[in-house]
Amino acid sequence: MYNTKQTIVAVSIAALFTGSAFAMSNNSDKTVEVSEKIDGKYAANYVEIIKNADGKYLDKTVIEAILGVEATHGRAGLEGKLDPENPYSAEVDDSIDGGNHGNAQCKIPKAFVEVHESAAANYYNDDTFVARGFGTPISEAALEVWNITVDGDGKGLPDPSVGMTVEEGGELYVKFCSMCHGEFGEGAKGYLPLAVEEDLVTSSFTDPAPMKSVGNYWPYAVTLFDYIRRTMPFWTPNAPYIGDAGYLGMTGYILQSNYIPMDDEGTELSDDTFFNSEVLMKMNKYMPNQGNWFCDHRPVIHNVRCMNNCPDEQVGGNGTGDPTQYRQARTLPDGTLQYNVPQRLHEDKPGVGHAGM
Amino acid sequence: MADKIEEKVALQTENSRNQGRRAFLKGSAAVAGGVVFSQVAQSSSGFDAKKAVAPYAGQPELTEVLQDGPARKTLGFGVRKYPYGMPSPFEKEVQRRTLEWLTPDSMASITMSPIHQLHGIITPNGLHFERFHGGVPTINPDDHRLVIHGLVERPLIFTMDDLKRFPSISRIHFVECPANGALEWKGVQLNSVQWTHGMMSCVEYTGVRLSDLLKEAGIKPEGKWIIPEGADASGLSRSLPVELAMDDCFVAYAQNGEALRREQGYPIRLVVPGCEANMWIKYLRRIMVHDVPMQEREETSKYTELMPDGTAQRFSWYMEANSVITYPSPDFKMQGPGKYYVRGLAWSGRGKVAHVDISTDGGRNWKEAHFTSPVLDKAWTRFEWEWEWDGSEAFLMSRVTDETGYVQPPMPQMRNLEGTNNVYHRTAMVTWRVHAWEDEKSGGLVENVQY
Repeated sequence: MYNTKQTIVAVSIAALFTGSAFAMSNNSDKTVEVSEKIDGKYAANYVEIIKNADGKYLDKTVIEAILGVEATHGRAGLEGKLDPENPYSAEVDDSIDGGNHGNAQCKIPKAFVEVHESAAANYYNDDTFVARGFGTPISEAALEVWNITVDGDGKGLPDPSVGMTVEEGGELYVKFCSMCHGEFGEGAKGYLPLAVEEDLVTSSFTDPAPMKSVGNYWPYAVTLFDYIRRTMPFWTPNAPYIGDAGYLGMTGYILQSNYIPMDDEGTELSDDTFFNSEVLMKMNKYMPNQGNWFCDHRPVIHNVRCMNNCPDEQVGGNGTGDPTQYRQARTLPDGTLQYNVPQRLHEDKPGVGHAGM
Repeated sequence: MADKIEEKVALQTENSRNQGRRAFLKGSAAVAGGVVFSQVAQSSSGFDAKKAVAPYAGQPELTEVLQDGPARKTLGFGVRKYPYGMPSPFEKEVQRRTLEWLTPDSMASITMSPIHQLHGIITPNGLHFERFHGGVPTINPDDHRLVIHGLVERPLIFTMDDLKRFPSISRIHFVECPANGALEWKGVQLNSVQWTHGMMSCVEYTGVRLSDLLKEAGIKPEGKWIIPEGADASGLSRSLPVELAMDDCFVAYAQNGEALRREQGYPIRLVVPGCEANMWIKYLRRIMVHDVPMQEREETSKYTELMPDGTAQRFSWYMEANSVITYPSPDFKMQGPGKYYVRGLAWSGRGKVAHVDISTDGGRNWKEAHFTSPVLDKAWTRFEWEWEWDGSEAFLMSRVTDETGYVQPPMPQMRNLEGTNNVYHRTAMVTWRVHAWEDEKSGGLVENVQY
């Protein structure tokens, strides 16, 4: 089992040197032969293999022909997809640690051939396109008010001269945010907490989901500034009376509440730190959960379409094969079959496993 | 270019028609086979009226004379009583609904479509599910603009009339919140398909290809990401890789033949077929072409999936193939042993539905259902399967296989791999337990259970 992405990468790189033995599928009814391998692992002619199988790029036998039998299932399949060279990987080189700019990326896997061919036809190979002229030219300067996007690299942040102390930011936070998010980010009225210390590792599948917030979950600090300037306070978003300086101050206060460091020594914000875009960008690289992210690699379950006498693990009873072993919704005290009973009896926190929508 | 698009539209229509026809022929061949078999077995010739009604033999006959009701004896209402027509008052229970305990307010909340009460593959506009992050604005289309800027040769601004001058396309697609099914991660909570699968709808959209608009502005080669943004209070943004944007996305101004409803983004929204509904930015006003993704809150803090070991998945785009039996389902009660037509919906974010199989024994054995609707790309597909229920306890499940070869997994497999803290993309099979007819209190009840 792995805990951080770095360890997964190490595992998959180790597998690179030992794994070529099972990269070859002995699937005899596939007419296309695997001739060359990418990195000694993946069939280089994957496009041909997919096309010969009527484009069924998620068919179990097709994936096995391209990646090898061992690489395609469950956790192992998921870990194998962390190698950007894997035709089924959504990672790019930059997604492993965000590269030198820190802004992680993902891609449409190469094996999703249809998507790439369609994009090529509609765009890359379209050498005849000439604009119809139905639009009106506009200058970037005219978008000064509308363009409030800040990206993961911090592009779009206010000038470093803009900002306020963390203490001043805290005062603004108490005034405009605390009634819904709590004075120290603990949450209120069913709205999101902004600072919790919850472990994100699952101890039991039936335990309540851990609360995710800025310090224990969010990969980027700049996201916080972009988001609160864009949407908060809820009833009057992007408020001019708060302004860039105010939004930066509040960002600083929330990051301080989450104990986010700004350097290798673990230096945290003090109340009189002047919080501006430079301080924010320092902290952007020290978000505690940043190394625990990877691209969405679903689907990672590849079943055969079984029709008769299917194996136990695909039949009811949590894999026991006994269809009469099941879990039910709880009943109300009078015995009627009902729904959302824990919520109605005020035993559980409401929601779909996370507070706030 | 215009020619190419028309050709592709025509192709899709032709394909869809063929697909529909193939499904129909397959269905009728099966029926014809049955007829041939019984003809041979009983050596009869042609339709036998007496044999046809044999199942009614011995049942008591109603003899009370039927009387005319008020509808027959008085005039109905005239034209334009309702300049914009509404459903019959007897359908008033067919509504989108929400769970009041789900969210602390109604502006950042969700409603579910009553999919157990819908027929075919089109969701009426008034029953389309709703999901807002900052309430619904009422925007005057004359004042609304779409801007395309960033890494383009020529930043452009468009009025709504400008957009309608472009070549148009109409497509039927499902739109699904990735949290659809989220309530069931930790076990069964809710006994209705509206709650378990209602965070989705399927409508016909009309609009302009996004690739046409991006090319119109001269998108530059270094523009690898598209960042669309809404004009509402949430200013919602997501980052789309350019391949996805250029594949089959479009900017829609119409839904089921009329303008988009405000709840769905009036006057314009982005359509990202097959992908999370969160990416289908409503009230679209700005598309920034960029070199890197934005890491917006809706693609980092939310709409990402926490795994059991504490790692998390990001940039989740495609919705996996999924299916559900809508009849019988927990909103219905069986009416005694006998013949039932098991019906439901199947869909895939990666293309067309290829097969739907039905199990009545909790997944051990499966029979293929046939399709009763056209089979379209990234759209709801209706399936149906004839079931002779003997009245004993049954465990009904549906399983979709899409044209990419992906087979919908059972819940334990998904749970063991992905845990139960994902929130999003709970796309494994569900199970309806049909209580034995002989059970005293609960006989014939259809109950949502989980393996």
